[in-house]
Amino acid sequence: MSNREKYQSVFKESFQYEGDVEQLEYQGIEEWDSVGHMQLMAALEETFGIELDVDDIIDFSSFKKGISILAKYKVEI
Amino acid sequence: MDSPLHFDINGIKECQRNRHPLLFVDRVFDVVPGEKASGLKCFSYNEWFFPAHFDDEPNVPGFIQVESLVQTFIMTFLSKDELRGKKTNFLGINNVKFKRKIVPGNTLVIHATLQSYRRGIATGSAVSFVGEDPACSADFVVAVPDVLDQFKPKGAA
Repeated sequence: MSNREKYQSVFKESFQYEGDVEQLEYQGIEEWDSVGHMQLMAALEETFGIELDVDDIIDFSSFKKGISILAKYKVEI
Repeated sequence: MDSPLHFDINGIKECQRNRHPLLFVDRVFDVVPGEKASGLKCFSYNEWFFPAHFDDEPNVPGFIQVESLVQTFIMTFLSKDELRGKKTNFLGINNVKFKRKIVPGNTLVIHATLQSYRRGIATGSAVSFVGEDPACSADFVVAVPDVLDQFKPKGAA
């Protein structure tokens, strides 16, 4: 599975969402609230073996924004 | 290693925000912040719910047993200096089991374990006993909203 597929899968599983995850933004769906955000961050850390900084967790406001944040951790999506 | 902490009712009220008539732990002891806590709850017939549940057979409602468990559980992390006095919300309760009836005169002893606490989300479990008899057990996921809010993406409501 490619990193992009893993990245998409984390969103789908964290939010139990079957739509187009690439368009997702924080609070764009009911499931991506403050609790869902923490679940998403934890799932990304586990999937990619990284530990996100607080500033990056706060900046992580959409699927697309997350791609540039993960690049800082040498995870190319 | 520091000695385990103990909290009387005033100490419990400093750590958590539950209050009468919904505070269901009288004393908390053997607390290792970030790891574990034990609690004690004495049920007398003066409890407000016994006349209603039930007038001919008073016993502790299940939701109150679960509250006793979770109120001991949250002491595993609200006993940490930086979290004292914060409100908590349930995110999940799983594997709840009731093993015996609890009646006036019973004392419930609760043992809670924190499995993980990270960025405002705590997971763990608690079990309770009357004497040596198992009474109730459950697994919990609990949030600290104040802490969760610190990690919200910028510009969010």
